[in-house]
Parts: sequence; structure tokens; C-alpha cells
Amino acid sequence: MSTVPLQHEPQPPLPPEQALPEGSARRRAPERQRNILLRIRDHWADYLYIAPALLVMVVVIGYPLVYTVYLSFFETPPRGGRNFNGIDNYTTILTSERFWMVTRNTFNWTIFSTLFAFLLGFGAALVIQREFIGRGIVRGILLIPWVISLVAAAYVWRWLYHSDYGLIGGMLQEWGVTQERFVFLDSTRWVMPSLIVANVWKEFPFVMIMLLAGLQTVPDQLMRAARVDGANSWNQFIHVTVPHLKNVIVITILLLFVANLNSFGLIWIMTGGGPAYASQIWIVEIYTLAFRSLRFGLASAFSVILFLFMLSIGYFYVRAMTSGDRERGHA
Amino acid sequence: MTHHPVPSDATPDLTPYRAILQSPLGRRQLLRAGVTAAGLGAFLAANPRFALAQADKTGVDPATWTPEHIKEIAGTLEVDTAAEVAKIVPLDYAGNSSYWYVGPNEASADIEKTIDATFWEGFAKTYSGIPFTSGDNLQNVNYNDLLDKLRTAATGNAAPDVAKMPILWGVEFAARGQTREIALEDFGYTTESFWPGALKSVTWEGKLYGIPTNNETMAFIWNKAIFEKAGLDPEKPPATWDDVVTYSKAIKDATGKAGFGLVARVNAGNTPFRFMPMLWAYGSGALDEAEDEPTYKTVMINNEGGIAALQACYDMYVRDKSVPASALTNTQTENFDLYVSGEIAMMISHPSEYAKLLDNASKATGADKEFADELVKNTAYGLIPEGPVRRAVVFGGSNVHIFTDDVTGHTVDLDAAKALIAFSTGPEWSTRLAWLGSNPGNLDGFRTTWMKERLDSIPFLDVTTSMLPYGIPFPVIPESTQIMNEIVPNMLQNALTESKSVKDSADQAASEIEALVSGGY
Repeated sequence: MSTVPLQHEPQPPLPPEQALPEGSARRRAPERQRNILLRIRDHWADYLYIAPALLVMVVVIGYPLVYTVYLSFFETPPRGGRNFNGIDNYTTILTSERFWMVTRNTFNWTIFSTLFAFLLGFGAALVIQREFIGRGIVRGILLIPWVISLVAAAYVWRWLYHSDYGLIGGMLQEWGVTQERFVFLDSTRWVMPSLIVANVWKEFPFVMIMLLAGLQTVPDQLMRAARVDGANSWNQFIHVTVPHLKNVIVITILLLFVANLNSFGLIWIMTGGGPAYASQIWIVEIYTLAFRSLRFGLASAFSVILFLFMLSIGYFYVRAMTSGDRERGHA
Repeated sequence: MTHHPVPSDATPDLTPYRAILQSPLGRRQLLRAGVTAAGLGAFLAANPRFALAQADKTGVDPATWTPEHIKEIAGTLEVDTAAEVAKIVPLDYAGNSSYWYVGPNEASADIEKTIDATFWEGFAKTYSGIPFTSGDNLQNVNYNDLLDKLRTAATGNAAPDVAKMPILWGVEFAARGQTREIALEDFGYTTESFWPGALKSVTWEGKLYGIPTNNETMAFIWNKAIFEKAGLDPEKPPATWDDVVTYSKAIKDATGKAGFGLVARVNAGNTPFRFMPMLWAYGSGALDEAEDEPTYKTVMINNEGGIAALQACYDMYVRDKSVPASALTNTQTENFDLYVSGEIAMMISHPSEYAKLLDNASKATGADKEFADELVKNTAYGLIPEGPVRRAVVFGGSNVHIFTDDVTGHTVDLDAAKALIAFSTGPEWSTRLAWLGSNPGNLDGFRTTWMKERLDSIPFLDVTTSMLPYGIPFPVIPESTQIMNEIVPNMLQNALTESKSVKDSADQAASEIEALVSGGY
């Protein structure tokens, strides 16, 4: 029996147009520009096809984006009017105690939701990847949280957690785990963990589906080879499965991270950001500032801060998405 | 005015409601309500200092607006709505308009849905040339969504031509120049047609920007059976807010049930309606809205009275644990569910909630029926307790406004808008649309036969009407919504979660109000 090498196959040589041009650095720049122009010319039809989508994006994303940045330099009192105030909105936000409290909440919410949803989803994917009786049914059941409407799920969780007649608190008391009804959403200490549990429940099937798809692409020969080489289950997982899923994992985590950072519905419905701002995260704060307090200038500045942060996440996302291309030598 | 022969199908189907009211239980309730109202009338007569001190805030003269007077004048006016509105806009006028409002929802009593449908049928018959189609130019929007929707629509130049808003909201649109200045005379009214407090709520910088549709005050509701179990006199509600704290603890200790139905959720209109009466009673206010000559410039929330009111809430929630633990996330709807299930003994209640109890009882079956009937039997209404400084209640209600051409994105058909407003705010429909939960904004409504029918059929209506002289309007400034829906509830939450001390919570609220008015974060 022959073994399959664990290393990647050697990369094929780059096509001539991708190969590094010869000559000095001074010559390389115009050469690259010429290449780009040539490639645009070669693919003019492709650009034409995506033009309508680009146009829509410019209108529905580009314009609001520019306008939000513009508005962030104005004071917009609820009584109406608009006064240019430079970077005052930014300094007001960044120097306020509330901003840092909301930021801490945002990171707790985003990091722990992402982490636990990922771990649970990965675990579920590993389990349902195996052959067992009733696997289809289990897969279906595990997908339920994902397909349920977010609003419906939020209301159900709100009732489950209800401090006076919630099922969870009632059961804990009934079973003697707690002496009194456990207060989940009305406690500054427990509100965020409670929300994260609900969010993880809602999100883990997404991770499960993504990773399940990835797991099914792990070549069986690779696993067999690892076993022949004496790798136990843990080593197979760490040294074969995880490296093979690297790109899927990175993209899934990034998508989850961004989704959680922008997550509004669950928190808004369950707590509205309370009690005492204990579950207020950036996106809820922006909504509150804009549509409850009518401080569109402040809300815009806050949105720009969030946008810049998201942009940095987006950079890693794009890098992860194109890493395969780069490995293959495509720009 | 003469009685307009309203089409027979335009009269709401009150059969299910009457069935309850004609039952022995209903008659008992009516009798008791009558006795209670008479008692309150006597109370007002004997304690004029309470009412007179505040009458100038709403213009509701307590000497005039007694339950007896209201009963006396009801049914003395014949109304011909079509003839009246024809003087404003010809009945054959053809035009277009759009209208957003908070109408009945799934949780509403059947009669409210019937009356709403009847109104639109009546309007269609009167003004067949001004069509309204539900879901198109007629939007019944959830209370918690309407403000955001209106703000967004107005900002995006897509506001409706006409909108009916709760009393607190209108001024911000007026301040931004998004609603149109109006003249009462254009609708056939004078300033005497409405309570001064109601007109004040649609006035910004001396100009009028809307028409009052309905005005109400809340009252105090309690479960006599729970009082009895706690060893309290079931016929005597707490007289003061300090008594509420004491009663609440006694009830919790004796029965394990929540004594008082505190509401402290952020971004829920229910919170200020239930906390501000307490704050005002202790001699405080968000600004100086409860003072004799409010300027809306002095922040009072962290004065001695404000701290005492907050301390009373703290004592009930943290020290005694005698209010629902869910008070920080509950809206009044959820608190009312707790009352309905017999888990709360007393709370500030909207007049429509008793009607909801009756509605529940009429629909319940089996053991639920017995429980619901028992609850109706044990429910009593009374005046909201007083504080060391005053007795107070929020002077609530709604107003109707016309948006400007700029924010609607088109030229508003003013005649169509006027026809709708004149029709809905006249004596007939301002009374009928406020059937269960409010009073007609148009004072002539009190004299109609529909008012008489309401008084004859709705228990405790007199009690809530008796609170009107104690009404205090929210500050009429554009920042009011944020103060009431954000800052005040957050102050409560800071104190009740012990994130801050009672004093620090009040101080923070004060600085936030000051910053808000001056444009800070």
C-alpha cells in the first residue's frame, strides 16, 4: 500500500503573464500597469456584467456611507438644524464613560458569542459527520434554531428567561438549584451571559453547516494515510482535519464575528440594551442615538467608528477569501 | 347640533360587551363603580386643595369636571357629524390623503376593533371621494413602532399627510418644522372646544400644530382578594406612596405575590406613565413641569423629592423584593398579565385594562372562566396615591397632526386632511374612538349620547375621569421623548440594579437632562 504524502503537491509553475517580469524595479511598475490594463481589456465583458450591481452598491451603500461621514461632523440637535462642529462628535464619544462601557459589552458579546457558537457548531459538525442511525433527523433538529425567525426566537428566549414566570428560572427553583427565582435578564451581571447563550443557540447551526461542508471535502485517503502513519484520533483531527479546514474556519469565524458585531434584533427585543446599559452594544447604541435620541450627528460619528473597525475585519476577510488565490499565485 | 342619523351598520356591535354588563356580575360592578365614583366626587369636594392646585396645568376645573357633572351633561347633545363636517369640507369633495395611527391590535378588546372598523366605514360613506385603503394610505402601526417610523419617514420625505400621535411625541416634529401650523377655526373649533392642557401639548412657540383627539388619566387598580389575604382592608387602597411601599411589603411577606406592579423598562412608554406620578407626588419632576409656572428649563429630578421617589422604588425592588423581579424588562402589557394571573396586587392602570379584564372573562371557559370572573369581582379602582407634595397623574392622550409638503414629499391635499381630522375629532368620533380607554378630546363629546352610553356601560370610567384634575402634562419640549423614554427609565435601572446609588442615579439623570438640552452625549 502506498501512502499519500501529507505535504501539498508542488505548485505548478506560474503562467507567463503572472511570472515576475525581468529587469529592474523601475521597469517592473510600468510593466505591472500595462498588465493590469491588458487584463481589464481582456475582461471588459466581465466588468460590464458586474456594472449594474456596482451601480446599485454605489447608490445604496456608497451614498449613505459618504453622507454618514459628512453628517458625523455636524451637531444635529433634536429641535432641528445642523451646525458644523468638526471632530467634536468623535471626541465626545471617545471621551465618554458610556462609550467604553458599551465597547466592553460589544467585545464581550462578539467574542464570546463567536467563540461558543464556533465550538458548539464545530462539535456538532464532527458528530453529525459520522454515520449513525437517525443522523438525518438529528441534522434536521440541529438546524431548527437557524431557520427560526430571529424575532420569534428572541421572544421565546425572553419568555424562557422571564424573571417571574420564565421556564428556566422555574425549573431551577423546582429542582432546588436555586432558592429563589433566578433573575436572568433583569440582572446586570447575568444579562449578557444569558443573551450570549440565546445567540449561540441561534448561530451554531450556521457554523455546523459551514464546517460540515468543509469536513466532507477532507480526502479519505489523507485520513487513512494518517492512521497508517500511526496518528490517533486527536492527531488526525489536529494535523489533518483542522489544517484542511483552515480557510473554512477562518471565513466562518470572520462571518460570525461580523454578524455578531452587527447583531441588533436579539438584544433589542430581549432587553433593549438594559438593564442599566448592561447589554447595550455598539449597534444598539447607534440605533438609540439616532432614532430614539435624534442625535444623527453623534450616531453618524459612532457609525464611522464602527465602520472603520468593520473595515479592518473586512481586510482579514478578504485576505482569507483570497488566500487560495494567492497560494496559487493569482493576484 | 342635531343628531345625525348614522347608518345602522355604523353603530358598533356592542352585543358581547352588553352581555357581560347585563350579567349579575356586570351589574354589581356597575353599582360598585357608581358608588366609587360618587365617593370620589365627594372626596374632590372635600379636598379641593389637591385638585385646585393642579387644575391650571391641564385646565380641567375640578369644580366642574366632577363625575356627577359628567353624568349630568352626558346625552344632552344631538350630533349630526356629516352636517358639521360639511361646513369644513364639502361632502362631495374628491381628493387623497394618507393616515398613520395606533389602532387596535390583536390584543385589543373586540369592541375596539369593531369601533375602528365602523369609523372607517362611516368616513367612507361620508366622504366617498377621499378613499382610504388599509395597508396602503391607511396604516395602523404598533405603538412601539410608530414614533421611529414617523421619524424615519419624515427624515426621508416620506411622511404620511396626517398622523395621530400620543401626546408626548408631537412637539419634536413641530420644533423641526415637520408638521403644519393649523388654526382651530379651520376645523370649526374654538379654544373652548378642548382642555387648555390638551391644547398646550400641540403648541410650540405660541403656534398650534395639531388637534387633540382624546385625553385621559390613569387610576389605581387593586385586587381585593390579595389585600384580604395580606391582612389589609380590601376596601382601602394605599392613600400615599409611602403606604404603597408598606402595603407592597406586607403583601409580599404574607402571600409571596408582588405587591406593586412597578414598570421600569427603557424605551417603553409605560414607564414614565407609571413613575412620573410618583416623582411628581414627592415634589420632583424631570424638569419643572409639575410646578405652578413651568419654564422647562430647571432640572428637578435630583432634588429631595426625586431622590425620595427613587428611594421608594429602590425599597420595593431591592430591599423588600415586593415588586416583580421582571420590572426592568416588563412593559405594562406583561405586568398586566401578572395582574391577570393574580401575581400582582396593585398597580397604576389605564382605563382600558378593566375593559380587558371583562373581555377576558367573557371569552374564558371552564376553570379559567371561574378565575377570570373572580378577578373581575375582586378588582377595584381608586385614585392614584398622593405624595408629600401632591397627588399627580400623567395627563395623557393623543393629537392629530398634518405634516408639511417637504416631509411628505408631495403637496398635501389639505382639504382631504381637514375632512379626515374634522370627522375624527368631532364630538361623535372623538367620543366613540375613545370608547374604552380615554375621554373625548373635543369637550362637546362629553355631552353626546355616546358618552352617556359609555358611562352607563363602562365601570370605573368615572374614577379615571376623576383623576383628570390631577393631571400633569409631560414637558412640552422636543427632548421630552428622550427624557421620558430613556433618561428616566435608565435612572430607575441604575438605582434598581445597584449599578449606582440612588443619589448618583438621580444626579446622573439630572446631568443627562441638562446635557441633552444643551446638546451633549
